[in-house]
Amino acid sequence: MNSIKHKGDSIILTQKKNKKEIIDSVVRLLFLITTILSASFIILIIIFISIKGIVPFVTDNNGIGRVDIITFLTGRVWLTGTAFQSNLYSVGFIIINTLYIAFLALMISMPIGVLTALFIAKVAPKKIAEFLRTVVELLASIPSIVYGLFGSGVILVFVYNLAEAFNIQSKGGNSVMATVLVLALMTLPTITAISEVSIRSVGKDIELGSLALGATKTQTNFKVILTSAKSGIFASAILGIGRALGEATAVSLVAGNAKSGPSLGIFDITSTLTSTMLEGLKETTGIDYDIRFSVGIILMIVILITNLILNFIKRKVGNVDVK
Amino acid sequence: MSNKQKIIDIFQQALTYLAASVGAITLFMIIFFVFSNGYKLLDFGLLVNDYHAKFYNGGIEDEISYSNTIRPNNLDDEVFYSQKWGIGLKDDNDREGNPIIIVDFIADDSPLKNIYDKNNEEYEPLLLETGHLLSKISFYDKQTALTKYGAEYMIEALNSSDTFREIVYSSLGGGIRGSIITTFYLIGMTMAIALPIGIFTAIYLNEFAPKNKITSLLRSLIETLTGVPSIIFGLMGLAVFVPLTIQMTEATSANIISGSLTLAVILLPVIIRSTEESLKIVPDSFRSASLALGANHTQTTFKVVLPSAFPGIMTGTLLAVGRVIGESAALIFAIGTAVKDDISIFGKSTTLSVHIWSLMKDEPANIELASTIAVIILMIVLLLNIIVKFISKKLIKDLY
Amino acid sequence: MKKIMILSTILVIGFGLTSCGGTSENEFDTSKTITVYTRDTSSGTRAGFMSGIDFKEAAEDNSVLVDGFVTKDNTGILTAMITDEYGIGYISLASLNNTVKGLLFEGVEPNIVNVMNNTYELKRPFNYVLRADGDFDSDEEEQIAKAFIAFIGTIDGADIIADKGAIPLDSTETWDDIKANHSICSGDNSSVTIKFGGSDSIEKIAKALTEAFVPKCGDFVPEHDHTGSSDGFKRTQGSEKDGDSAKHIGFASRPFKDTEQGQDGTQGQLAWDAIVAIVHLNNHLNDVTAEDLKNIFSGTYSKWEDITE
Repeated sequence: MNSIKHKGDSIILTQKKNKKEIIDSVVRLLFLITTILSASFIILIIIFISIKGIVPFVTDNNGIGRVDIITFLTGRVWLTGTAFQSNLYSVGFIIINTLYIAFLALMISMPIGVLTALFIAKVAPKKIAEFLRTVVELLASIPSIVYGLFGSGVILVFVYNLAEAFNIQSKGGNSVMATVLVLALMTLPTITAISEVSIRSVGKDIELGSLALGATKTQTNFKVILTSAKSGIFASAILGIGRALGEATAVSLVAGNAKSGPSLGIFDITSTLTSTMLEGLKETTGIDYDIRFSVGIILMIVILITNLILNFIKRKVGNVDVK
Repeated sequence: MSNKQKIIDIFQQALTYLAASVGAITLFMIIFFVFSNGYKLLDFGLLVNDYHAKFYNGGIEDEISYSNTIRPNNLDDEVFYSQKWGIGLKDDNDREGNPIIIVDFIADDSPLKNIYDKNNEEYEPLLLETGHLLSKISFYDKQTALTKYGAEYMIEALNSSDTFREIVYSSLGGGIRGSIITTFYLIGMTMAIALPIGIFTAIYLNEFAPKNKITSLLRSLIETLTGVPSIIFGLMGLAVFVPLTIQMTEATSANIISGSLTLAVILLPVIIRSTEESLKIVPDSFRSASLALGANHTQTTFKVVLPSAFPGIMTGTLLAVGRVIGESAALIFAIGTAVKDDISIFGKSTTLSVHIWSLMKDEPANIELASTIAVIILMIVLLLNIIVKFISKKLIKDLY
Repeated sequence: MKKIMILSTILVIGFGLTSCGGTSENEFDTSKTITVYTRDTSSGTRAGFMSGIDFKEAAEDNSVLVDGFVTKDNTGILTAMITDEYGIGYISLASLNNTVKGLLFEGVEPNIVNVMNNTYELKRPFNYVLRADGDFDSDEEEQIAKAFIAFIGTIDGADIIADKGAIPLDSTETWDDIKANHSICSGDNSSVTIKFGGSDSIEKIAKALTEAFVPKCGDFVPEHDHTGSSDGFKRTQGSEKDGDSAKHIGFASRPFKDTEQGQDGTQGQLAWDAIVAIVHLNNHLNDVTAEDLKNIFSGTYSKWEDITE
């Protein structure tokens, strides 16, 4: 009697197990599909802008002539000649400007953002931490045009006066510096929010271990926790630089939209790939319209390469597994 | 503890405070900037009023009996009064910053109480009331009295005339009710699409995916999405999602559904990234314990790992909601810029930030109303924030 | 306690840093370099301005402009002139306010009266384009669209255009006079939607015109979706005329290009917009000639002292 019951139990158990395995593989498949779906959008976008952006290089643009790809990539003037009649476009200097600005912006927002995240996650009293977290989430929701407004209403005036204090005549504050400051502000919420999550994810055991070994709280925070949270901090940098490279509306309000360059002086006017792409997009036609999608392709390539490099660094230095 | 270490400690501690305060201060400056520019226009009417004003064209009979009411004592000094016509007018600004002339007082025996609808073949009386805006009065023999000449001129023109050809008045428009409704629709629909896809993807990448080249390729592809400028997403939405929704639903143009689909794609990397980061918090011991107890991978993921990662996912969701509310460049293409009062998910309409965008495109731009809407956006996000935190606290309590 | 002390010290320092360098009330220094602000090459305002100062080649060509010019939109140029003492730019007359100084052009003050009597010559046209005859979904749509265009040309239409800061064309009839020619407007049109698009500079005027015209024409439903001048033609008679964002009436804040010539009688002008050269309030300059402006924008004059009034 007893043994039969046992036998029955084990059959049910195996059946259950089989059923569980099937569910497991179905769920796994479902998740794989969503992952492939998420990953496919970028390909869709690349195909879409490539189709549009390749036009100026392969057609004669209604008699204007093909755009030379070498000149396009290396030149130092956005457009030589009259719009709609010239094919002499180039973005070489704009690529340099864009990378330079994104790099400087990240140089400001990364330390501030990560340390703010550390403050929220480990140092601040619970109430203050909760409050700051809310503030960060609020800031992430401010439309970029409002950042642009703040930029042109406050930051431009600040930069103009700052330059004057150094006896430099800036162009109404429109400059590399103003752009960098605005982008630093805009990336700050993203960097803080993501870094904070990864700082909190550092295992309690690692932290306690460090403290037990005689390290002070501050030492632990800086040496152990920040190191262990590296992968998340890098992730926030990737998101941050993505936003810095891709932001257009606010940048075009403070950059000055220089038509030649590159601009390396911090009080010089500048331009980025996105601001160039956006400028007049809705008003223009013909080659002047198509070429903006070519700028889009360049932007995508720049972003792709930046991401690859950052991911590479992340793999090299971020080997502490904090899972 | 050595002295040197103490100094380093203090220095580093100070650095943390400094960074946090610089962050906090600039953040507050932005919020302060938005508030100081926008609080003036903030009132309840803005939230519940229609955007489109209703206009009326009035004509007047040939036989007019003029008013005898003298100027009431309780009228403000800035009100211009015509005894002949029994009406008091005042200059003001509407929400978009444009000058308007507002009817402050109308006497019971005013001939303007007996105007009729000029555009109706049959006689139909119109009711001019206090609070209406007078946009123009045209006369037979002299220059039209327009809003921009002010209330004083309009009263003078009325006083020196015995009749007029046409009076145009309207209700006060410029409300943002429609845009608020659209914003909520968009948040709901975008999240319904993006959250499951994003969370499942994050789970796959973090819990199931083998560590190989393909996985890291998939990850890179997703991360690259974050750098795509909004406008490109918008153009893609216009090229892909708009035709798709037109074909599959009753929509005939860009619509809220195509807008949500576009936004969902924009949000995916944010949701995936923050979910993954919070899945990493969950200690491996939880997973092994659950598996050891006989639960399968699916059960472990849904019953053990996800609940523990819940607060982090909430942070990601809030960031994402913030992005939905703040996005404009993509939506200009994916839903259009036509401000509507009656919202349908199959039709065009604008969110709050597209509303801001169109205000900023005006020549001259209306910075005040733009800031007011930004304040409203901040308040909505704050509200959602509090609600979500409340819910997640409750959930965590129930779970443990 | 100590922490609070540190925090508050930092707060003070932070505020000090951000608020340093308040506005300095310097005398206007004419030896400073002129900073030139302009719109981008696709702007109708820029085309109008450059042809008005006899520098047409600069309308669509950046290389003839002075080195280091700043490109901004209308609002950007206006706010820049509040900060930048040594800047010069140009904006639409409707945007001019007392935070900046609007310059006289060839001795003529920029105002509506002077534009209407043709003494102030720095201006650009506002144009409209209809769909081609018979290319409407229904007869009602076509008739209402045509009635709207007729309304623009009346005194009543002109009043509204003037009210929104643009300068209307001469008109002699009222809507009452021509109403009889548009019998469609006496019926109920509340089920008909008319779509407007094109230039966003004209959006405000177009909205005011439709608001006023709706009750005059059977309460039809206007839908405004203004995205830029080139969409005006594109979406009515051009490549996107049958697309999802097709329009019944489009607007352009510049003359139609050679590639934008549609069917006869479907295009026309509704108003003028005056353009004003603006500088900072501290600037001593009050009056410029077309030649001065050309010299400034081409870089012949690089410093403020180069200009002699």
